[in-house]
Amino acid sequence: MSILPRGDDHPIPPEPPAGGKARLVSVNLLALVEQGSVGPDPYRVDADGAPYVPVGDGGVVLGVRLGDGVWEHRGDHAAPGACLVHPDPAAGYALAAQACIGNPVEVRTGAAAGETGVVIGKRGEGGRVIAAFDQAVLCRLRPGDQVAVRSRGQGAADPVPGVTLRNIDPALLARLPAETAGGTLTASVRAVLPSRIVGNGIGRPTPMWDLDLQLTPAIADRHGAAGLRLGDLVAITDLDARFNAGYRRGWLSVGLVGHGGSPQPGHGPGVTVIATGPAAALAATADPGGHRGLTEETALEVAREQR
Amino acid sequence: MNVGTNEGQLVTQLLAGEVWPPLGDRHGFRVDPDGRPFVLPGMGGVTLGVHCGDPATGYAGDHVEPGLSVRHRDPAANYALQYLSCVGNTVVVTSGPAAGAEGFVIGQHAYVLTDMPEDQLRRVTTGDQVTVQAVGQGLALDGHRHVTVKNCSPRLLAALAGGTRDDGTLEVHVAARVPADAIGAGAGMASEYANTDLMGAYAGLGEDLSLGLEGLRIGDVVAMADQDHRFGRGYREGWLSIGVISTGSCQLYGHGPGPSTIMSGPAAAFHLVDDADANIGVLASAGAAA
Repeated sequence: MSILPRGDDHPIPPEPPAGGKARLVSVNLLALVEQGSVGPDPYRVDADGAPYVPVGDGGVVLGVRLGDGVWEHRGDHAAPGACLVHPDPAAGYALAAQACIGNPVEVRTGAAAGETGVVIGKRGEGGRVIAAFDQAVLCRLRPGDQVAVRSRGQGAADPVPGVTLRNIDPALLARLPAETAGGTLTASVRAVLPSRIVGNGIGRPTPMWDLDLQLTPAIADRHGAAGLRLGDLVAITDLDARFNAGYRRGWLSVGLVGHGGSPQPGHGPGVTVIATGPAAALAATADPGGHRGLTEETALEVAREQR
Repeated sequence: MNVGTNEGQLVTQLLAGEVWPPLGDRHGFRVDPDGRPFVLPGMGGVTLGVHCGDPATGYAGDHVEPGLSVRHRDPAANYALQYLSCVGNTVVVTSGPAAGAEGFVIGQHAYVLTDMPEDQLRRVTTGDQVTVQAVGQGLALDGHRHVTVKNCSPRLLAALAGGTRDDGTLEVHVAARVPADAIGAGAGMASEYANTDLMGAYAGLGEDLSLGLEGLRIGDVVAMADQDHRFGRGYREGWLSIGVISTGSCQLYGHGPGPSTIMSGPAAAFHLVDDADANIGVLASAGAAA
C-alpha cells in the first residue's frame, strides 16, 4: 500500500510564479583559486599530431586580459584572470551552474584579501568559473586563496518572449551591445558562426559548460572571426542552448568569449552562452572590425555596484 | 577490403573486462530537446534485442548500448581496455552460465560494446567476466599514407567492401553520409574513447531537429564530413572520418546514435560508395578470428 496521498488528497500544486515575476536569488558561494594541473605526461597532442606542453589551462594566468585576441597568447584555453573551483565535486558543479557573468567575486584570504573581481565566464567538465581581476590584484592571488562568489542570474526573466537567458546577471546584460525592439532581442557580435564549428560543450548542459569554437587562425577569416577577442559576443546559428546545447534549425544562441584558443582538436576559444531562442525572437548583427564586447572596466564596475 | 596492410606487425593483447552495471544518480531524470524530463534504459549492463543491422533509433531508450557493456574496475586498466579494444575483436565470456560464449566488439562508448547471438546474450548478466582479444591499434594501409586507421581490427577491415582503386584512392562503402552539423557530444574527446554522438536522429520529435539520420542502423558504416579524428575528434574542412554506429537512440539533447571512428583522412583520399548493406553485421557470420 502506498503511503503517498492519492486522488483528491493530492491536489495539483499551484503554478509556480512566472519567471518574469519571480525575484532572483543571490547566493554567496565559496570557491578556491585554482592551481593549473597536468597529468603524469607533460604533453598533449595538437590537431596536427604534434605534442605540446599546455600552458595557462586553468589556475591564475597573468597578462591575459579581456580585449586580447583569442590567439594572441601561446596558451591552451588560457582565460583572462583566475579560474575558481571547489574541491567537493557536487559543490563545484553548483558553483559552475549558479555563477553568472557579472557576479562579484570577493577575495577573503591571502595577500589580495578584500579585493574584488568579477565572473566573466565558465568552463565545463570540472566545474570552473572564470573571474577577471585587475592585474595588480591578480598577481597577488595564490592558488588555494578563498573567494566568495555572489551568484545571481540563473532564472532571469525572458528579455522578450521566446528568448531564454543563461549565465548572465541582468545588470551586466544591460551593459552589453544588445537591444530589444519589436519583440526581438538583437545583439551586436563579432561574428555569426555555424553550429558545426562548436566542439567540446555540444550536448552538455549550458548552465555548466561553455562551448569551444573549433576555430584556428587559418580558418577564422573565412567565418569573419579573424579578429575574435576575449570578451566578444558571438552568435551561433541553428543551436538551441536552453538545456543541453544541440542542433535545432532556425535557432540562434549568443554567448561571450571567456577563454582563448587551444591546439587540441575539437577545442578552441570558449563561449559561455547568455541567450538562446528562435531566430524570430533573437537576432545578431556581425561587426567583424568594430565590435566591442565586455571590457574589464565595465565588468568590474558592474561587480562593484553589486557589493 | 582489398588493400594491403601491416597486419603481420600487429600485437594482440588479452584484456580482462567485466560486464558493468547501468549507472544512475539519485535525481534520475535527464532532459530531452524540448525540456521534457525522462528516465529511460540504455547504457550499461546487458541490453537485449538490439543487434547489428537493427534500427539505431525508435527505441524508448537513451544511449542504447547493444549487447554487453564492459569495463575494468581499475581506472588505468580500464583505459587500456577502452583504448585498445577494436571493432571486430573477439570477446569471450569467461564466467557465469554463459562461459565460453563468443561475441565481437562493435565499438567503444566509455564501455566496450559487444554484440553476440541473442540466445547467448540472455544468459549473461552484470558482473560476468569477459576476455577481449585486442588487436588493431597500429593498423596501417599500404599505399594510403594519408589515411589513419584506428579502433579497427584486421578482421573488420577484411570483411568490409571496397579497397584500393586504380586511381589510388580508398574505396569505402557507407550506409550514410553525415553532415558536420550532426556532430554532437564527443567532439573534442580522444577518438580511441567513447564515440561521436550524432544529432538530427530524434525519431518522433520535431522536424527542426532532423538532419535526416533517423534511418541509421546499429553497425552501419558511415562517413562524417569535415571531421579529422586522428588525434582527437575535431572539425577540419575537407576531411572525412569513417565510423561504425555502435550506440542507438538518445533522448538526451545534443546526443544520438554514435559511430566509433575507424578511419580518418583528407576527403580526396577516399572514394565513397553509397551502399545500404555497409554494416558490420557481416562479422556475425564471418566466423571467429582475431
